[in-house]
This record gives sequence, C-alpha cells and structure tokens, in this order.
Amino acid sequence: MRERLERLLDRLVRASVLERIAISVAALFAAVLVGGVLVFVSGGFASCRSGLDLAGWTFCYNPMQVYYELFLGALGHPLEGGWELTNYSLATTLQQTTLLIFAGLSVAVAFRAGLLNIGTQGQLVVGGLATAVTVVYAAAVVPDGFVGTVVLIPIGVLAGALVGGFYGAIPGVLKAYADANEVITTIMLNFVAAGVTSTVLSWQFQDPNSNNPQTAPVPEYAEIPNLPVVGFGARADFSLLALAFAVALMIGIAWLFARTSFGYELRTSGVQPEAAAYGGVDDRRMTVASMTLSGALGGIGGAFWVLMVHGRWLENVPSLGFDGIAVSVLAGNNPLGVGGAAFLFGVLRSGERAIGTGTGVPPELVVILTGLIILFVAMPEFFRLFGRRFIRTETRRVARTDGGEGGEGDE
Amino acid sequence: MGQNRRRFLEGASAMGLAGIAGCVGGFGAEGDAEYQVGMVYATGGLGDDSFNDMAQQGVTDARDEFDLAFDETEPGSEGEFDGAQRDYAESGEYDLICCIGYAQTDALSGNAPEYPEQNFMIIDSVVEEENVRNYVFGEPEGSFQVGHLAGLLTDQEFAAGAGETNPEESVVGFVGGTESQLIESFQAGFEAGVEYANEDAEVVSSYVGDFNDTAGGQEAARTMYQDQNADIVFHAAGRTGIGVFQAAQDEGRFAIGVDDDQSLSNEDYADVILASMVKRVDTAVYSAIESVVNDNFAGGETVTLGLEEEGVANVYGDELGDEIPQEIKDQVAESRQAIIDGDIDVPSEL
Repeated sequence: MRERLERLLDRLVRASVLERIAISVAALFAAVLVGGVLVFVSGGFASCRSGLDLAGWTFCYNPMQVYYELFLGALGHPLEGGWELTNYSLATTLQQTTLLIFAGLSVAVAFRAGLLNIGTQGQLVVGGLATAVTVVYAAAVVPDGFVGTVVLIPIGVLAGALVGGFYGAIPGVLKAYADANEVITTIMLNFVAAGVTSTVLSWQFQDPNSNNPQTAPVPEYAEIPNLPVVGFGARADFSLLALAFAVALMIGIAWLFARTSFGYELRTSGVQPEAAAYGGVDDRRMTVASMTLSGALGGIGGAFWVLMVHGRWLENVPSLGFDGIAVSVLAGNNPLGVGGAAFLFGVLRSGERAIGTGTGVPPELVVILTGLIILFVAMPEFFRLFGRRFIRTETRRVARTDGGEGGEGDE
Repeated sequence: MGQNRRRFLEGASAMGLAGIAGCVGGFGAEGDAEYQVGMVYATGGLGDDSFNDMAQQGVTDARDEFDLAFDETEPGSEGEFDGAQRDYAESGEYDLICCIGYAQTDALSGNAPEYPEQNFMIIDSVVEEENVRNYVFGEPEGSFQVGHLAGLLTDQEFAAGAGETNPEESVVGFVGGTESQLIESFQAGFEAGVEYANEDAEVVSSYVGDFNDTAGGQEAARTMYQDQNADIVFHAAGRTGIGVFQAAQDEGRFAIGVDDDQSLSNEDYADVILASMVKRVDTAVYSAIESVVNDNFAGGETVTLGLEEEGVANVYGDELGDEIPQEIKDQVAESRQAIIDGDIDVPSEL
C-alpha cells in the first residue's frame, strides 16, 4: 500500500508539463461530475415551481444549466444572441483575473524563495490605502486631464508598491534577524493591517460625503483608462491596459527567475538554503529582499483594486490576498502559470454571479461547487509540491543503497 | 488491474454524462414567474432576525400573493453592493431591484442613472432619481417610544422572566452598529424618550462598528450591565444585537429589540426582551413590489413610514409584555399620541 502511494507520488512529481495540464483538465472534469451530482441531489430537497419529477421526487436544480451559467455566464453567454465581446460579465472575469495575477505573483515570489507569505492580503490592504490617499492628495497639485492620468496613475501604483513592499519587509526582517516564523508574523500582520487602516481612515481620510467607511474618490482621470474602440465601457471597472500590465509583470517575474542572478539566488535559497549560503548568497538579505518584492506585488494589487475597480479605498477589502495563495498553489508557484490559474478563478468568481441571477441554486451551493473545482484542480499540484521533498530524500536513499547489494528492497 | 479500472472509469463517466444529458429537460430555469424581483441585502446578511429578515419577509409575502419569483444576494462588504446591484440590472430580467439599507446609497446613486429603465427601491435612504422609490422610517419616533418605556421601568423594581431591574440605579444603555447618521438617530430618539420619562436617568451608549459582530455586541452590553449598572439595553445593531440579548440573559437584565418583534424571531431570548422597536421593512418591500405588479410604481418619490403610518412602533415582548404594569403602558401610549399630534418634538440628531 505504502509502496503504491509512493509510486503515485513519484509519478506526480515527475510529471511533465503536458501531463500536469492533462491532470488538471481531468481534475476539472472530475470536479464538474461530482459537483453535478451534488447539485442534482440537493435539488431534490428544495422546493420550486418547475422541477424534474423522478420516482416521486422533484429535482429542482439542473446541473447542466448550472455549469452552463458557471462557465459561459462568466463570458457573457457567447452562444446566445446579442453577444458582445466587451460585455459586463467578461469584464468581471478579467477584472478578477487581473487582480489575482498580482496577488498570485506576490505569493509565488515568496514561495519560490522558500517563504510562505500569508500576508499578501495585509500588504494589499495597506498598499491600496496608500495609493488612494496619495492620488487624492497629489491630484490637488497635478493638472487634470491627460497629464493627470499619466502622472497620477504611476505615482499611485508606485505608492502602493512602496508601502506594500515596506509592509512585506517587516516579516522579512523579523524572519532574517530575529528568526520569527514568517507564517505567524504575516498572518498577524493581516489583522494589524486591517486595524491600522481602519483607524487611519476614520482619523483622517474618511469621505465626509458618505456613511460608508471609505476614502474620498480619486478624480476620474486618475482611474485606469479604458482603451478606445476595442476596450470595455467606462462603467465596466476593468481596463485591458491593467490586464496588459499584469501580464507584463508576470513575464517580468518569470524573466527575473530564469535569467537574472537575483532570481537564481532567490530560487536556490528556496530549494536548498544551505547550498545557497555556501554559494555565497546572503540568506538574510535574500529573505528581506524576496519578502519586500512579494509585498510590493501585493501592494500593486491593492493599487489596481483602488484605481481600476472602485476609484477609492474601502474598508473591508475582499479577500484577494488569500485567493492569491490558492492561485499560486494552483500554478505550482510558476509565475507564468499564475495567469492561467488567475483566469480560472476569475471565471469562477464571475460565474458564481451568473448562477445567482440565472438559476435558482442558492449561493451557498454555488460556493461549494467552485470550491470543489479549486480543490480538485489544486490537489495534484499540492501533492506534487509537498511530494517533491519526500521523493527527493527517497531517491537519495535509493542511490546510496544502490552501491551495496540488495538495491531497493531495504524498506 | 489497471486495465479494468480504466475501463470502469470510462464506462462510469460515459454513463454519468449520458445520464445527466438525458435528465436535462430544461428544468430548473427561472423566468417562469411573471414578475422577477432582485434583493440586495445589507451587510449583516440574512439570519439577523431583524433588518434583513424583515425585508425577506416582505418579499416572501409578496411571492405568496403574486405570480413572483425572487433572487437574493448577501454582499459581505460595502464594496460589493455596486456589483450586486449591477448583476441584476445588467441581466434586464428583474422588474424591481430592492436595495436594503442606507449603505447602498453610494452604489445606487451610480447605478440608477446607468439603467434608467430599471426600477429600484431603497430602504432607509433617499436617492433622487426618477427610477428609484425611497422608503424611510421614523426611527427617532419609534426609538423615543422604547426610550420612554425604558426610562419608566429603570426607576422601578421590576422582575419578569429571566431579568430584573436594579432600582437603586437609573441607567439604561444603547448599543449601535456602525456610527452613522441613521443609527445615531435611533440613539437620539431613545435618549429623548428616556429623558422624557425620567430626567435623572442616565443613558450610556456604545458603537460596536459592525452589524455582524455578535461577540462584540455581547461584550459591549456586558460592560453596560456589569460596570455601568444598566438595567435595560436597547440595540440598533442587526445581528450584533443578538449578543446584547445573550449578555442580558447572562446578567439577568433586560434588552429591547429592533426592526422585528425579536421576542418572536429570537424565542430563546424572549425571557429578557421587554419590547422591540419594530420597523416595518417588510411593509415597505411588499408595497414597492405591489406597486410594480399593479403597474403604478412611482419612482422619484420618498415614502416616510412613521409612528402614525405604523411604519415604526413599540411592540411589547411576547413573554414579558403582559407583566409590564398597565400604567406604564398607558403612559407610553399617551406619548405615542402626543408625538403623532406634534405635541412632543423628537430630535433626529444627537
């Protein structure tokens, strides 16, 4: 039994990219099947006007329809008449994709350096507030119109990145110089971020014209602009430029990992810290640097949440940072994979809404369905990530025994 | 072995797919009712046994009456209101979108002009657009009523159910959700009512900062009961207020509910709930839907439901109501009439 498990794990760890994609697709189908049965059966316990009568039971929910809404609703129902590419549902999907790319990259960078950054959420929260406040105040001195757009947006994103980076550097420093476990500190700093931003907001930056806890809005020209003609409408809360920036950043990080000495040192520290230190990597500086970079990416996520989605910072930031962890795991912590994983999450988020308006299935069940998909698709990657450690020690032992007699049979 | 398993998997998945495909007869789709209503609840969410549940009561009443189906969203934070309203408006299938709670004002101000053909209604706020019908309540008047009751009772030696008053101290408390104009108007009315009953009585107040923080509500109320010697605590805090009831039960004191008759909706705490400041959110939702069904939906108007319209009222607790002395009830009834006649001026701001 144990041997079979090991073989399976070994098989997973050694899977090629193509095989891994095939496994993910198979897992997606398996999740759809299991979820479909779940939806159908729970429909038997609901009451509705028109259901399917089967053996004395009335089944209310149609699994086919639910998945139709989940996947095609997220794209704005391309098979139905009157479909436009720049529809609101697709804008929601891509908006979530864009934001999750930033969050996913943030987690992936830390993970590749051997650090578990659970604090992307907090870094995103403080970064977003910094962006909103900076832009609101800078708008007073910067001319409006096109110049304002060109000046304010980079300033805002930079502010988010700086403050997010600083906030990420704190657990990095604590880890490097005080040996504080970064998982604990980053989790705790999420709470600190929520509390501090809330206090700072009510102390100084609360929008006096609103009862909701939020900052004053940034000027319209400081929001991420939409592309004319091919872009989405002004009220879509999504801009292709933002997505393009996210993708560029993704490629940039991939390039950083693959082609620069910093990226090499970062990856080495993640795989084998002792070897990296032996090779001349200052592990303390590397810990701080990678956490700072991770935090800055989270902060940029917050900046785009502010400048693209709401045009202001609001208390109770959605849990993009936590979703980023799942995105990163799903992508196997590969920067380029983050894009695909973020898109899957975007489809699920937008599809959830489409199910809500298009079918009678209760939202709780929808969350279970999307959760199942994430679980099924992420699990092989998850086991792969953790199996890698396990299998490596295993092969080493095998190699050692190979020198003697008997070979593998010593377990 | 592997061969068998693969064959089984193939067979099972083929059967599963065929089975599902065979079962699909286009059932489960919506749109079979004549009218569609979209409900966007306040952040406390359903199950608060007060504000949101009252709104849901209104729409279910309407469903029982008319050929109607409804969808619901429970946004978790203020940032989600905009998207939630737009999901409904964008689909174009809804005859009315009900926005429950003042926190949706900003989002609706943006969305209403975007979708001029879409009917909206909002509770507790005014959005001046042609396609929005506004419903506001006379919260200060209703709160004055329960304040009057609390002010009269705190002075007396009164024991009923699981609670008793402390006759030596005349202190009553108020627990609010977030510190906003609307919730402060509850407090203002309540304080005025207490003062009207008893000039020496003290009112202590606290804002938890959340409508969904039961533990926070319990903590705030416990402080009032234990450290500040409060007898009776009135809450305007949605689900947070359930914590106030828990604290009242633990401490053997009284509480006053809000929005719904909470001695009925929270039976477990009926032995400490003296009364509830009922706010007929259900009536507002129902009448908005009714006007859509009757094709006389008047957008751009504001409907005020005060004491006179019975939009707000002091409703005695189901279990404790009978034990409250009649002369106190008479005085509260008198002040009600005096407010309606305009003899008492109830402040709406602190």
